[in-house]
Amino acid sequence: MSGLDRFAAGLLWCLGVLCVAGIVHILAVFNLPKLERAEPLVRIAALTNRSDMTLLPHAAPGAEWAPFSDPALAQGACLFDLAHGPMRLSGDIEGDKMLTLSFRTPAGDIFYSMTDRAAQRGGIDVLVLTPEQLETLEAETDEDEPPPRELRLVAPTTKGFVLVNALAAFPSQRTEAEQRVKAISCEPETVAQ
Amino acid sequence: MALIGKFLLAGLIGLLIGLGVTFAALRHGVGFGAVEAGPWTAWPKVGAANIDPYLRAALTRSGEIPLGASEGISFLARRDSAGRRLDGACDYTVSGQTPQARYWTLTAMTPDGRLFATPARRNGFTSSEILRAADGGFTIALSTNARPGNWLPLVYRKDFILVLRLYENEFSAGALAFEPANLPMIVKGFCR
Repeated sequence: MSGLDRFAAGLLWCLGVLCVAGIVHILAVFNLPKLERAEPLVRIAALTNRSDMTLLPHAAPGAEWAPFSDPALAQGACLFDLAHGPMRLSGDIEGDKMLTLSFRTPAGDIFYSMTDRAAQRGGIDVLVLTPEQLETLEAETDEDEPPPRELRLVAPTTKGFVLVNALAAFPSQRTEAEQRVKAISCEPETVAQ
Repeated sequence: MALIGKFLLAGLIGLLIGLGVTFAALRHGVGFGAVEAGPWTAWPKVGAANIDPYLRAALTRSGEIPLGASEGISFLARRDSAGRRLDGACDYTVSGQTPQARYWTLTAMTPDGRLFATPARRNGFTSSEILRAADGGFTIALSTNARPGNWLPLVYRKDFILVLRLYENEFSAGALAFEPANLPMIVKGFCR
């Protein structure tokens, strides 16, 4: 084998190694969230397995339910599973107290987020549904009817969760912030037959 | 036989390099659309619907549940304004302004995002409870020893990080360049 052949062969091997490294890297990045069994939905479901609003434990030293949680927040979550119908999230908003909501897929991707400033007529009314459920709902609705009062939100996945944050601006307001989280309800929507 | 060995070796080296690069990329959070302003770093895309796979994998590693884009944005500081690592053996002052937001909170945490158990039971401040100067600016004293005014207790010789959360910040975070002057300065003081 001449020197040039050896060089070419070595180069090919190196390219091969790089190819493998690239594939491994891409696979690892995409599959790490699945491998780690740390899916946000799984972690939240361990704290609540009901579909209605559940308060998450207050972030206290040594007892945070998730790292990097803000100790000034009261947090609540509800799980949804749209397999048997849409989910309605509703509640009254009082005054100018901050309340934020995020709608997430099992992997934790946020497909919609909003705050109490987006509330209409003093309340929040969101209908989370699958694309098929939205189609059915729209097909049933008369065109002459006034536009729906609720916000219709199409979820990219059948399962997921909603995270609700209320800020306790002072430590003494924690109980009141927890009450504001609990004032939001999540219920499976009964589909009209 | 020797050829099979070479293939196996190439595959093994490739595997190690691939995993090593992945680990290093996630550990250092390179890229990911990070926005830096002085000592503060934010990842505005983390709360967006079109989060990229690198950021998602990095979140899996850290365990963080980030804020949604409409909820707010978090800034993280691991170093002071002079670029030195934040150390619980030193005093610091955090002062200046924050970008427009409905509320903000500043929290001291361990480098992996846990809270410190301090005797004063304080881990941070909200914008409502802070004492301000006449011009609206504020100064927070970080120290293991009690300080007058806004005192955020530290744990002696424990490394810490600061997390500044802006709730309902005015701008769309995606297209925003943060000026270092709009964010608080972190200045190191006396060390023990």
